[in-house]
Amino acid sequence: MMAAAPKLRGDGWLGPLLIAPVVVVLGAVIGYPLFTALALSLFEVDTPTLRASFAGIGNYAELLGPGGRFWPALGVTLVWTAATLALQIVLGVAMALLLNRDLWLRSLARSLVLFPYFVSTVVAVLVWRWLFNDLFGLANQGLMALGVIEAPIDWLGTMPNALLSVIVVGAWKFFPFVVIAVLARLQTIPESLYDAARLDGAGAWGRFRDVTLPQIGEVLGIVVLLRAIWDFKEFDLIYLLTGGGPVDATRTLPLIVYQEAFGLNRMGMAAAYAVAMMIVMLGFFVAYRLAVRGRL
Amino acid sequence: MKGRLARWGWSLFAWGLILLVAAPLVWMVATSLKPEDEVFSLEPALLPEEPTLEHYATLLTETGFAGYFANSATIATATTVVVVVLAVLGAFSLARLRYRGRETIASAVLLCYMLPSVVLIIPLYLMMVKLGLANTIASLVIAYTSFALPYALWLLRTFMAAIPAEIEQAALIDGASRMGAFFDVLLPQALPGIISTALFTFILAWNEYLFALVLVNADDVRPLTTGVMTMLVSGFNIEWSLLMAASVMMSVPLIIILAFLQGYLVKGFGAGAVKG
Repeated sequence: MMAAAPKLRGDGWLGPLLIAPVVVVLGAVIGYPLFTALALSLFEVDTPTLRASFAGIGNYAELLGPGGRFWPALGVTLVWTAATLALQIVLGVAMALLLNRDLWLRSLARSLVLFPYFVSTVVAVLVWRWLFNDLFGLANQGLMALGVIEAPIDWLGTMPNALLSVIVVGAWKFFPFVVIAVLARLQTIPESLYDAARLDGAGAWGRFRDVTLPQIGEVLGIVVLLRAIWDFKEFDLIYLLTGGGPVDATRTLPLIVYQEAFGLNRMGMAAAYAVAMMIVMLGFFVAYRLAVRGRL
Repeated sequence: MKGRLARWGWSLFAWGLILLVAAPLVWMVATSLKPEDEVFSLEPALLPEEPTLEHYATLLTETGFAGYFANSATIATATTVVVVVLAVLGAFSLARLRYRGRETIASAVLLCYMLPSVVLIIPLYLMMVKLGLANTIASLVIAYTSFALPYALWLLRTFMAAIPAEIEQAALIDGASRMGAFFDVLLPQALPGIISTALFTFILAWNEYLFALVLVNADDVRPLTTGVMTMLVSGFNIEWSLLMAASVMMSVPLIIILAFLQGYLVKGFGAGAVKG
């Protein structure tokens, strides 16, 4: 048996000392701002002049009330999150299964699949906006050449196209995360499990359902939670693709926060939306903690 | 025979799907190399008939692109250095040293890692204005630590926790100090993890958009993300070939990383993201 780590001089204060800079920095760029956001949400603040007057829970009453946009925006956010996540999972698992096979040029294949995930959202959005261009975009020209559509489609300016486009581009951008996480797990499944299933006469679908799926289940659960959190708070992709439009049809909660603060100059209201959004996200976080703990 | 045929079939199918995923990127590169009349054609060819580098030349000489690129390089490099130094020490503390409050700090870091930037953007904006840092490179480096540091800490903590304690203990028994063992034994072992973390941090900072949009409003400090978007908005008619050339150039660091250091990225995925 290995001896326990010898207690050395300095061991006592070394841990706190080394984490101290992190605590100070995170306190300054997260802790203090978070506190400020909570405080701001109780005020009416004009963004350009920063003139503030106390409003109590007025902002919250307004955003949750009949004229407020919280509930509709939460709906849009949840639709976006659920739909793009579902696509990411299906596409991601399928691609992971394919990449797990003996494939030509596997390394190049993996690079190409990873690229959308790591490329800047600005680049991704520019490319897709060019693809979605009404007259010269590949999407319309291709579909018209194939005879699927008669006239060019407005992909980003009308509903439900705008929401669908955002969901598809989101799936394209973020599915590689699922691929890599699932692929890593697939590679650890012992081949003997598949051999046993084959002996029992299981077909390809049966082997997937009875061997692969239970084995990747845990990883998939964590991936779903993490991606749900990240998709829920996604700002760049939606803001750059549609700007939240047409009207508010694709305006998720993060976009509302930005718009209230820097478009409508109501900084206190923006903070209130941000806090309300954070409370919803806290639910995701607790679920993540429980899921990870449950595994240990 | 049947096996070989099946392998062919699967490979073809897989590559079909991969090319579909990669199609937007192929189209980006193709458009950037096409002369203007080929770009705005009603019967476009997939590959440029007369490839040209004129858009790249225009980009570098007639737009602010080179300046944005330099700003992005400065910001991403500075963020990476600051974050990796802080995170290496912090992760060592969280993964290897025992003290009261450690678990609480670890939990708080995870919470920070999942916090939406949009919540912090308003207070950080006010803070930068108050500190007189609005419209500076420093303001972005400071703001970027808010998402990059929790991420890097989480990643590195997982990497360091995975290194067997025995090697470190052997050094301690041989009389090394805790920090001595850290530098001589743990750090070399953790190097692949540190490289992976540094690459992730660099890419995160390179790609960041929201903070840059709010905190910086001057062309001489603007990074690529917001800079290229102003090129989209400012033109009367959108020059797609120029924007595609900008997109390609902006992705060059990423292409280099994917081509030569892909293994580190894949390793980082497994460590920080999926293990809790």
